[in-house]
Amino acid sequence: MSDAAHAHDDHGHHAHPTGIMRWLTTTNHKDIGSLYLWFSLIMLFTAGSMALLIRSELFEPGMQLMHPDFFNQLTTMHGLIMIFGVIMPAFTGFANWQVPLMIGAPDMAFPRMNNWSFWLLPVAGIMLLGSFWLPGGAVAGGWTMYPPLFIQGGVSYDLTILAVHIMGLSSIMGSINIITTILNMRAPGLTLMKMPMFVWTWLITAYLLIATMPVLAGAVTMLLTDRNFGTHFFNAAGGGDPVMFQHIFWFFGHPEVYILILPAFGIVSQIIPTFSRKPLFGYASMVYATASIAILSFTVWAHHMFAVGMPVAAQLFFMFSTMLIAVPTGVKVFNWVATMWKGSLTFETPMLFAIAFVCLFTIGGFSGLVLAMAPVDIQLQDTYYVVAHFHYVLVSGALFSIFAGIYYWLPKWTGHMYNETLGKTHFWLSVIGMNIVFFPMHFLGLAGMPRRIPDYALQFTEFNQIATVGAFIFGFSQLVFLVLVLKTIKGGAKASDQVWEGAQGLEWTVPSPAPYHTFETAPVVK
Amino acid sequence: MAEKGNLRAALAVFWSFFGVRKRRDYDDDAQSLTQAQIIIAGLIGGVVFVLTLLLVVYLVLQFVK
Repeated sequence: MSDAAHAHDDHGHHAHPTGIMRWLTTTNHKDIGSLYLWFSLIMLFTAGSMALLIRSELFEPGMQLMHPDFFNQLTTMHGLIMIFGVIMPAFTGFANWQVPLMIGAPDMAFPRMNNWSFWLLPVAGIMLLGSFWLPGGAVAGGWTMYPPLFIQGGVSYDLTILAVHIMGLSSIMGSINIITTILNMRAPGLTLMKMPMFVWTWLITAYLLIATMPVLAGAVTMLLTDRNFGTHFFNAAGGGDPVMFQHIFWFFGHPEVYILILPAFGIVSQIIPTFSRKPLFGYASMVYATASIAILSFTVWAHHMFAVGMPVAAQLFFMFSTMLIAVPTGVKVFNWVATMWKGSLTFETPMLFAIAFVCLFTIGGFSGLVLAMAPVDIQLQDTYYVVAHFHYVLVSGALFSIFAGIYYWLPKWTGHMYNETLGKTHFWLSVIGMNIVFFPMHFLGLAGMPRRIPDYALQFTEFNQIATVGAFIFGFSQLVFLVLVLKTIKGGAKASDQVWEGAQGLEWTVPSPAPYHTFETAPVVK
Repeated sequence: MAEKGNLRAALAVFWSFFGVRKRRDYDDDAQSLTQAQIIIAGLIGGVVFVLTLLLVVYLVLQFVK
């Protein structure tokens, strides 16, 4: 691929740097997409290893392997890295690869800013991971960064605030790029309402990012000034209010949940029609539902904090609004099922992951509805039920959609078909392992086991042991995925341009592997 | 004419909050409505949604008392 690409470049543009400089200086959307995806995979193994350490400690009650403070550092960093270092960069990687290919654009609108958006991430990642070696260790107050713990910690807390700022900057620049690309660089004839669902979901996600990242930046800046410059925004002793931080944080945090899941909806909405050999059922409804989820996501934030104490009117308001947001989400689930209804289904690995997404994300959605009820939430707040809920949404939701997307587009990116047997092995190990880890956590939570503790009462032992065994199955099955990806890059059966029989869209009109430069002449969409 | 368009935008936003739209009506919307109309109607729709919920909460609390 690269030889052809370079030969092409030599007679139009300047020559490309090679080796490490190619990746440091690249402005090509495909290169940058690959960088995002590799970064995300490395972070997945890093934060996944932390999860295995956490589960090892929890295999038995009592302290077995580590100091409690190190356990808290692991839970905090696992959360921060999985959210900001794995799920978000992976989706941005998909956007970089796929948005220009799907809308018939030659590249992203601002290629140099695109390069900067990516290269800020490793800087932030090194700051976060490096803080383990600072005096006092890494941050240990939970990924939500609540004061007063976050005001009291050592220098790694300042470093984490800086890292969050940098990652926010990267996200905002990425979003500006995606919005500008989608609104200005679509092929002639590709109207907004003809765009693939993945492009729609990313357009809306990008607006959400631009709206919420500055709120997070404001919150952590106030933490920074409370820590270092004598302000008392969140310090009750100085007239501040720690609960105000929670309001500001979750005003960012709940739309963030949708930032993590809307692109997943988009990927699944591409895959299910392909392997059902039918158009997506209710395309317009899907677009409308995505837009309304985005708007409503700003009205539900305080359901994360029912237990901190708020007027009953506020509890009712956030309880009702949270339940209502399930309506457009439910519409999406029905639309995916209706797309499969009477379709000519085949079950290649991307489709398996997409179907697992629909089933298991729905379980996460339902446990979310349980938690939406304020009186129930006050019982379950900070228990393992909440841990089960958000892992069903983020692992079997967001992460499974990422796997589905990789299997779906990898042949287009590499020019080789992946090994279907390995893919299915990865799928079954992942889906079984994931359920063994997280399903028992519902029971643990209902029985009252609190989250974020390294030790627990004896009666919780069995379910914890089951969860730990599942965690190791799930964790090590990701090595199958790594082997599969490396093998596919190296070789394998040649992928056709169309790749999948039922695939529709502009990305399938270019050769496999996609050439370094595509759509230099815009295609016309009828 | 403009009033009819605004009403149409409000209806489109209402259906979008529910998440469902008939293909024929959606095609008509796409023909007759501008992006600005939809965005403004969406923002107003968001405010109306919040106010409606506040009203429901108020009524529930009156009933409970």
